[in-house]
Amino acid sequence: MTATATPPVKKSSLFGKEELKVIKDPLWDSNPIAFQILGICSSLAVTTRLDKALVMGIGVMLVTALSNVMISCIRNFIPNKIRIIVQLVIVSGVVIVFDQFLRAYMFDLSKQLSVFVGLIITNCIVMGRLEAYAMGNPPWRSFLDGIGNGLGYMWILAVVGSVREIFGSGKLLGMQVIPESMYAAGYVNNGLMVLAPGAFLLLGVIVWIQRSISGYSEK
Amino acid sequence: MNTSSNGYVMGFAIGVCVVISAALAMTANSLKPIQDEAAEFDRQKNVMMAAGLVQADDTRTVAELKKLYVDRVKEVVVNTKTGEVLEGKSSKDAAQLNKEADAADKADKTAASRFRVVATTLGDGGKLETVVLPISGKGLWSTIYGYLALEGDLEHVRGVTFYKHGETPGLGGECENPLWCAQWKGKSIRDEQKKLVGIKVKKGKVDPSIPVEKAHKVDGLSGSTITSDGISRFVLADLTAFEGYLNSLAK
Repeated sequence: MTATATPPVKKSSLFGKEELKVIKDPLWDSNPIAFQILGICSSLAVTTRLDKALVMGIGVMLVTALSNVMISCIRNFIPNKIRIIVQLVIVSGVVIVFDQFLRAYMFDLSKQLSVFVGLIITNCIVMGRLEAYAMGNPPWRSFLDGIGNGLGYMWILAVVGSVREIFGSGKLLGMQVIPESMYAAGYVNNGLMVLAPGAFLLLGVIVWIQRSISGYSEK
Repeated sequence: MNTSSNGYVMGFAIGVCVVISAALAMTANSLKPIQDEAAEFDRQKNVMMAAGLVQADDTRTVAELKKLYVDRVKEVVVNTKTGEVLEGKSSKDAAQLNKEADAADKADKTAASRFRVVATTLGDGGKLETVVLPISGKGLWSTIYGYLALEGDLEHVRGVTFYKHGETPGLGGECENPLWCAQWKGKSIRDEQKKLVGIKVKKGKVDPSIPVEKAHKVDGLSGSTITSDGISRFVLADLTAFEGYLNSLAK
């Protein structure tokens, strides 16, 4: 644990080299799903449709960013003995607030996401960023780190969600994209894509592509 | 300051809890009216889904659907003990009526749900098109709420929806799956002697070559026997409660 190891103080700018790196890295090089293989469970469950995947992605992004900021603000006051539980309390708080907003303004989606919004609390990405980054870095950079990791999670979910929705139900964001004439010609929706194993296969392929491009291999 | 002393740790923990719970209470409280409105709209949409007025993935706007509800659906309060419709009472009065009935009639356990709100829609020429009955009861973890719509003949199912429950997503929670609900359509709640038999959720698949199964049973929900049994049970119980009302409509 390097919670107390603060990086050397440099002249800080809002979007300096360091800040951009913090946002860009999790998009590709250290992507939470493709590289760190975190948050797999929720990415299987909520990607049957693109709108669900996007809302879930936004949720995780907001939760990671906001709890990163909060933890980072009080990082020097958190007693080391109870730091995990303090992080958990803050994460749960933010998640519940997000869930309440969903219930008020996107009732249909919140019904479909059901337990998975609540399960953001246990998403390894969130806790992982708090422990590894927010505990040792200033608020603004922690915020960017949260946004970056959230985006990294979201784009993979969006890709999986789009593929699953197009091939599983012939739609994208609820609009028919595969024309009726295709169905008339004998095309059928792929049932595998609607079920969790379909997401597993897709994720596997994405991880494969990502790693073969970035040249990373497990030791 | 010594951040690892017991006193500091305790104080910090309490402080964090107090701040977070205050923030949560504030959010929940201020969003409550909007959430209630969203839930009420969802309920109305489910009435219309059961009645076959809208589809689950209807693309019409919220305002259009609300207008459709006002235009097409009429809510009446039914006294399930006598089967009578209470004139001049709106759906909002039902809770109060039930409270009074419960207080007045302690011995009768069903008194607390004696007055129920039924939605009806009229077809062309003012003929009764559907009767949408509220159904609810215990599943595995929770009380399941839904609507069962009957055709104008008061015998065949026009549609069913389950809109509020706490069953396991993917197992018992599949009771809200439109594909599963779709097979209720056309099933009969009465047998050949016109006796009320309800709709049974079968364990396994319905065999269409057996007339009794084809008429009164639907496929079970895989991995959720208790939810399925619960639904069979409360559908029959609620239909029995409404029998007087249905008979009076049939006259």
